[in-house]
Amino acid sequence: MVEAAVRLSSQFAVPFGEAMLTPCEPLNTELEKLFLAREDDAHRNPTPSHIPQQEVFESRFNLFRWPDPCVRELRQFVLDAVTRTVMSATTLQPEDLARLKLHNHTWFHVTRYAGSFISHNHPMASWSAVYCVRAGDRVPDQPESGLLRFFDPRLGANSFRDPANAQLKAGFELRPLELRLNEGQLIVFPSYLFHEVTPFYGSKLRITVATNCWFF
Amino acid sequence: MDAIALQPQVIPIFATPFGVAVVPEADVLNPPVAALLAERATPERADPANHQPFTYRSRDDLLDWPDEPVRKLCDGMVAAVRSVARSINEFSDAQFASLRVQARAWFTLVRADGCVPSNNYPNATWCAIYCVAAPPTSSTRFDSGVVRLHESFRPTMFTDATNSVPQLPYRPGHNTWRPVPGQVVVFPASVTHEIALLRTVGELVLMTALVRFVAPGQTGMPWW
Repeated sequence: MVEAAVRLSSQFAVPFGEAMLTPCEPLNTELEKLFLAREDDAHRNPTPSHIPQQEVFESRFNLFRWPDPCVRELRQFVLDAVTRTVMSATTLQPEDLARLKLHNHTWFHVTRYAGSFISHNHPMASWSAVYCVRAGDRVPDQPESGLLRFFDPRLGANSFRDPANAQLKAGFELRPLELRLNEGQLIVFPSYLFHEVTPFYGSKLRITVATNCWFF
Repeated sequence: MDAIALQPQVIPIFATPFGVAVVPEADVLNPPVAALLAERATPERADPANHQPFTYRSRDDLLDWPDEPVRKLCDGMVAAVRSVARSINEFSDAQFASLRVQARAWFTLVRADGCVPSNNYPNATWCAIYCVAAPPTSSTRFDSGVVRLHESFRPTMFTDATNSVPQLPYRPGHNTWRPVPGQVVVFPASVTHEIALLRTVGELVLMTALVRFVAPGQTGMPWW
């Protein structure tokens, strides 16, 4: 009997970066207070890419140009995490990255009961990130409330299913990735990934900061 | 640079079929079917995998129901799938008649604040969604209760003014169908779709069928 020695590897992988701001509560308290104070037409995104919902406030994309100390602190944390993700996922050396300027569009979302955000991705950017200021309350009978859902970019890969591909191990699974963000958690991902926020059924606020980054 | 006037032939490629049809006698069949579905929307008949409290989804045994109004609507759904499949292929009558239909179906009741999460279906070719009843549209939420078919990919992550908002069918973005009682839509089961949150009073009543065709002698069809 001949036994095949198989070496399993991961190809076409999607890099995900994750970082945790610890402690996060002091900063998040300041951010929440600031965002709610500026949840008005002057700070609302005047050219949203999707038809807005009244349950979701989307700010202008210039958040990281605000001078407020709490925003500057968040900016440093988020952009540092993006940079570290790029360093980890590419062959770029620190000196290569130092020659590039990191550009960003950054905004915040305040989501109330029944708010959601439809599936989308971010053309003209290479890396995107989401930071959780307020996770919103969990609703026991709504396990899918307020999830950040990433869609598998391998189109059609799940269309044929048999027992040999129905229970793939973590990292190889043919299904969306669903994340329930925790306060202080930052997720960095390629901007090409389609993602959505599922309907939020909590009674509290769900507040997130999102950024799109590109380097020239 | 001087502009040179050309008249190129422009055609859509990589197109996705999306069929809309009206099921015969729908206005007569819908009321008794809606009543029957409401009566049978019991926990015992529910799909145990559904986690949406404002949405009821039945087991996928709708095609086994003996009730005549339900059977007629189900026949209409399958007929719509057959018509769409026929229209995009070049089968002869004999070839098409030789294909054996395999199908399964269920019903969904979407109540206020309910939705059906984004999903697609393995091991099936076609998905058909029939609307039995629909509540009034929402004045505040444009997408209340629509079936949203996801743009699953962008052919490019690079955009400029000329490829961001061109005319249909080249415009990037999702596609939506607002359920209309009596209408059935047919599209590839591999297309990710959802039923957006219903933000109005009333109930959206839908029947969904998955369909595939087995050719004579064809092997390798997975279970479903």
